[in-house]
Amino acid sequence: MSTETDLLDFARGPALEAALIILVFGMFWRLVGVLVLRRPRDLSEPRVRHAWLGGIRTIFTRMWPRREFRPRILHWEAVSYVFHFSLALVILGLLPHILLIRDITGLSWPGLPTGVITFAAGVALISLLALLAHRATHPVLRQISNFDDYFSWLLVFTPLLTGLMAYYHLGGRYEDLLAVHMLSAELLLAWLPFSKLAHTVLFLFSRGVTGTIYSRRGAQT
Amino acid sequence: MTSTDTQFPLELNQPRLSIQKPEPRYDKQGEMADTERLDRAMRGFVKDFGATAALYMESCVHCGQCAEVCQYYVQTGDPRYTPIWKLEPFKQAYKREVGPFAPFFRLFNLKRRVTVQELEDWQDLIYDSCTQCGRCTMVCPMGIDIASLVGLARHGMAAAGLVPHELWATVERAKREGSPLGATPAVLKDRIAWLEDEHGVEIPLDLERADVLMTISSIEVMKYPQSIVALARIMKRMGASWTFRSEGYEATNFSMFAGDQQGQREASLKLIEAAIAVGARTLILPECGHAYQALRWQGANLYGKPLPFRVLQIAEYLAEGIRQGKLQLQPVQNSATFHDPCQIVRRGGATEAPREVLHALGVDLREMDAHGAYNWCCGGGGGVVTIHRADPLRYKTYQIKMQQVEDTGAEMLVSTCSNCRQTFDDGQAHFHWDKTAQSLLELVADHLVTEQE
Amino acid sequence: MDETILDAFRKNGLSRRAFLKFCAATASLLALPPAAAAAMAEKLATTLRPTVIYLSYQECTGCLESMTRSFSPTIEHLMFNNISLAFNDTLQAAAGEAAEAARKEAMRKAWGKYILIVDGAVPMGAGGAYCVAAGQSAVDDLRHVAQGAAAIIAVGTCAAFGGVPYAAPNPTGAVPVSEVVRDRAIINVSGCPPIPEVMTGVVVYYLSFGMPALDRQGRPLTFYGNTIHDRCYRRPFYDEGRFAHTFDDEGARNGWCLYELGCKGPVTYNACATLKWNQGTSFPIQSGHGCLGCSEPDFWDKGGFYRPLPAATGHWPRGEVLGGAALGGAVVGVGAAALARSRQQAAAAKSAKEVNSPPPKEDSHEH
Repeated sequence: MSTETDLLDFARGPALEAALIILVFGMFWRLVGVLVLRRPRDLSEPRVRHAWLGGIRTIFTRMWPRREFRPRILHWEAVSYVFHFSLALVILGLLPHILLIRDITGLSWPGLPTGVITFAAGVALISLLALLAHRATHPVLRQISNFDDYFSWLLVFTPLLTGLMAYYHLGGRYEDLLAVHMLSAELLLAWLPFSKLAHTVLFLFSRGVTGTIYSRRGAQT
Repeated sequence: MTSTDTQFPLELNQPRLSIQKPEPRYDKQGEMADTERLDRAMRGFVKDFGATAALYMESCVHCGQCAEVCQYYVQTGDPRYTPIWKLEPFKQAYKREVGPFAPFFRLFNLKRRVTVQELEDWQDLIYDSCTQCGRCTMVCPMGIDIASLVGLARHGMAAAGLVPHELWATVERAKREGSPLGATPAVLKDRIAWLEDEHGVEIPLDLERADVLMTISSIEVMKYPQSIVALARIMKRMGASWTFRSEGYEATNFSMFAGDQQGQREASLKLIEAAIAVGARTLILPECGHAYQALRWQGANLYGKPLPFRVLQIAEYLAEGIRQGKLQLQPVQNSATFHDPCQIVRRGGATEAPREVLHALGVDLREMDAHGAYNWCCGGGGGVVTIHRADPLRYKTYQIKMQQVEDTGAEMLVSTCSNCRQTFDDGQAHFHWDKTAQSLLELVADHLVTEQE
Repeated sequence: MDETILDAFRKNGLSRRAFLKFCAATASLLALPPAAAAAMAEKLATTLRPTVIYLSYQECTGCLESMTRSFSPTIEHLMFNNISLAFNDTLQAAAGEAAEAARKEAMRKAWGKYILIVDGAVPMGAGGAYCVAAGQSAVDDLRHVAQGAAAIIAVGTCAAFGGVPYAAPNPTGAVPVSEVVRDRAIINVSGCPPIPEVMTGVVVYYLSFGMPALDRQGRPLTFYGNTIHDRCYRRPFYDEGRFAHTFDDEGARNGWCLYELGCKGPVTYNACATLKWNQGTSFPIQSGHGCLGCSEPDFWDKGGFYRPLPAATGHWPRGEVLGGAALGGAVVGVGAAALARSRQQAAAAKSAKEVNSPPPKEDSHEH
C-alpha cells in the first residue's frame, strides 16, 4: 500500500543504509588505494629524529595561516572557517542529528537549543553563498575550479537549506520536506569519498606527511 | 639531441638581452614524433607517483591560497601561475593512470588523456615560472608539497624532451664537460693554480686522503673565484684537513633542475664516490642552494644506501667551527639583512647556521619582514635564471626582493647561495639598484681575526 | 423511522434550545466558525435520522470502546438523537440470525442512503477465510454493503490503513477498507484508537455538511490537519534542547520533550495534543510517554516505538555492515593500487630501456 510517508520511509531506511555503506566503502577505497602505493624509504640522515611528531603538530599548525601570509588570504580563510564552524554546529549540535549518529555509532553528547542551530544554519548558508560568489569571480579560482567544486558546493548547500525548510514547514508537507532533507544529506555522504569533500579525512594525512618530511629536515612546517 | 648550447649560448658574463615581446616558444629536444613525446612524458609522470605524491594529488581542494603567496602570481595577477595549476597535466595523468579510481576514469573517460599541446603550453609554467621555492608548500592548508611535485613533473617533461632550450643546453654541457659553465677539471686545475699564486693561499686538489671533501659550484669557479680563496683562508685558519677532487667537485646539478633523473644521479654519484675515495668524514657543499637539496636530502636515496659521511653546507660548517672556537671573527661594522636561499633554509632546514655566523660577525642584523622559512625567493632558482625568455618575469618578481631589502633599512645584503648572488647581480644591473648580495663565506674570510704569527 | 434529528431530540425530552446548544458545541469541537452552528442547526432540523450500519472485521473493539467514551456528543446522544444505528455486533442486544435479518432489512429500506462505518482490517488471504461471519467472508460482505452506502467511514487505523493485522508479516493478507472499496472516497478516521470526539464529531459533521475536507490519506483535516509536534505543549522544551533521556530521569520528571525516547509526534497527524483524551484529561505525551504515531500507516513497522525518529529504521547490524564496507573498500583500494603499481613498473621498465639503464629498484628520491 503506497502511503504519504513512502519517501520518508525510503530516506530513513534503505537510502540511509546505502549512503553509509557507500561512504565507508568509498573512503577506504580511496585512502587505502593511495597509501599502499610505493613508499620509498628516505635514506638521508635526518636532522631531527621522531619526525612523525612534527607531522602530528603540522596537522594543527596548518589550521591557521602564518603571519607572513595573512594579508592576502586571511579574510577568505576566515569566511571559510565561519562556514565550517557553523556547519559543524548544525550537524553536531541538533539533537535529531545526534540521535542519528548515536544510532549508527553509539556516541552521543548534549544538544543545543534549536534557535542556536537555526542561526548557525543561516550563517552557514550565507557564508556558502559568499564563498560561491568568490569562487565564481576570482581569477585564480575561476582558473582552477571544476565540476567537483561546484557540485560539492550544491550538495553541502542543499541539506542546510532543506533542513531549515523542513524545520519551519516551508514549501510543502513536513514529511516530504524532511525526506528531501534526509535524501540530500545522504547524497552528500555518498558523494563525499569520491570528491574534494574527502578532504575531511585526507587533510590529516596530507598535512601529516608534509609535516613529517620537513620536520625530519629540521625545516619549518 | 641538438646542440642547443651553440644555438642559445649561455653567457652569464655578458649583459642580458632584454626581450621585448617574447614569442611563445615551445622548446623541444630531439626529433621524436609527438605521440612518442607524449608517451615518454606520461611514463615519466606515471612512474613517479608514490604514496606521498598520490596523497597530494588527491588532496587539493582548489582553495587558491597557493597563488596568493607565489611571486609569479602576486606580481603579475595572471592566474595561470597558480602553483597547483602548474601541475594540472601531471594531476590529470595521475588521476587517469595511477589513482584509486583510475580504472573508472579511464573506462568512462572522465579524465581525458593529456595532449602534447597541453604539455607544450605547460612548459613555461613548469619551468619559466617556478623556482621550486616552496612558498606554496608552506601555505597550503592541506599541506601539499607543490614545489616537490613540480620537480617530479619535470621528470616527465625531460624524458619527453620538452625542456626550455637554454636549460637543456646547460644540462648537456654539464654532462659532456663535467661543468655547466665550462669549469672542466682542466679549467679548475688552472684556476686553482692561478688563485694559489695570485693570493698566496693553499688550495689542495686531488689529495689522497682528507677529512673533508670540498665541493664547489661552477658559478663560483667562473664568476666568483674569490670565494675559493675565501674558502682556502678559512680552512687554513681552522686547521682542517681538506681537498678538492677533480673527479668529483661540481656541486651544481642542472640535471635536477631540468628533470633529467639519470643525469642528476650521475652528478651526485661523482661527489659521493670522490668523498668515499678520500675517506672523508664530511662533504662540504658550497654556497649553492640546490646543491644542498641534491646531495644533503636526495643524495643517499640515489646512492641507495645511507651516506658514510656528513653533508654540510659551508655556512653550517662555519657555524660549527665558530661553536668549537676554531674561528675568531672581527666585528662587521655595517647593518645587514640576510636573504634566505630557499633550498637551504625553507626546503633544507639550515635556518640557524647562517644566523649563527652573522651573530659571530657582530652584524646588526635587520631581518626582512618575511624571513627565514617565509622568505621571498630571489627568482633565479630552479634553473629559471638560465632561461632568457623568462627574464621579464624574473625582473618582475625581483622587485619584491628589492622592496624587502629597502624596507629593512640595512646597509648590506648577505646571502649564502651563488645562484641567488648571480640573480641579485643581474637584477642590480637591470634596475640600477645600489645593493646586491654579498657572500657570507667571503664576509667571514674578510673578517678573520688576523693571526699572530 | 421518518423523524428528523430535531424530532428525535424532542422525542427524547430535549428542548430546541438543547438542540441548538448541541449544534454550537459540536461546531466548536469541529473548529468551525460560529455561523456554522446555525447552518448545522438548520440542516439537522430537517435531516432525517439516517441509518447507520457499523461493521466490525479484524479489530480489537478498541475503537468502539473509545467511541463509547465520547463526551460530546455522547454515544447515547448520537444513537438516540442523531442516527439510527441498525447494526453493531457489540452494542446490539440481538445476535445470530435475528441480528443478520435486522441488518438486511435496514439495508434494504435505506439502500443508497445509509452510512457505513467500518471497524477493523479486511483479510484477503485464503480467499478471505480468516474473517468469516454468518458464512460470509469480510471482503465479500464489505463489497456488498459498500454498494448501498451513501458514505463510508473507516474508523481506526486498522480500517483506515491496515493497522495491527497489516503489520509485518501480515499472515492473513489484511488490507485497509480503501483497498477493498476502490471506487469511492473513504473517510479515514485513523488512530489506535481514534479520539472519541473525533469519531463522533466526524459523523455529526457528515450529517450536517456532507463530506469533510480530507487530507491525502482520506483523513478529515479538521482533526488530522496538524501534527502532534506542532500543537504539543512540550514544544518549548524541544526548542530549548531539553530532553528526557530515559524514563524517570530528571528530564522525564520535569516534563521535558520525549523526542529522544522515540516520540513520533513530528510525523503524526491527529488531535491528541489539543482535544486530548478522557474529556480533555491528558494524552500520552502529557502522561510521560512518547507518541506512538498510531494514526499513521504502518506505525507498527516504523523502526520501533523507542527508537528516535532520526534513527535509521533498518535493523541491519551497524558494526558488521559498515565494517564489511570498510574491508571491501580497502580490498578494492589495494587492487587499484596493485594495478597502478604494475603500470608504473611497466612504464619504468620501458623508460629505462630508452636510456639504457637498469630500472631503479626504489625510484623517487623525492616522493
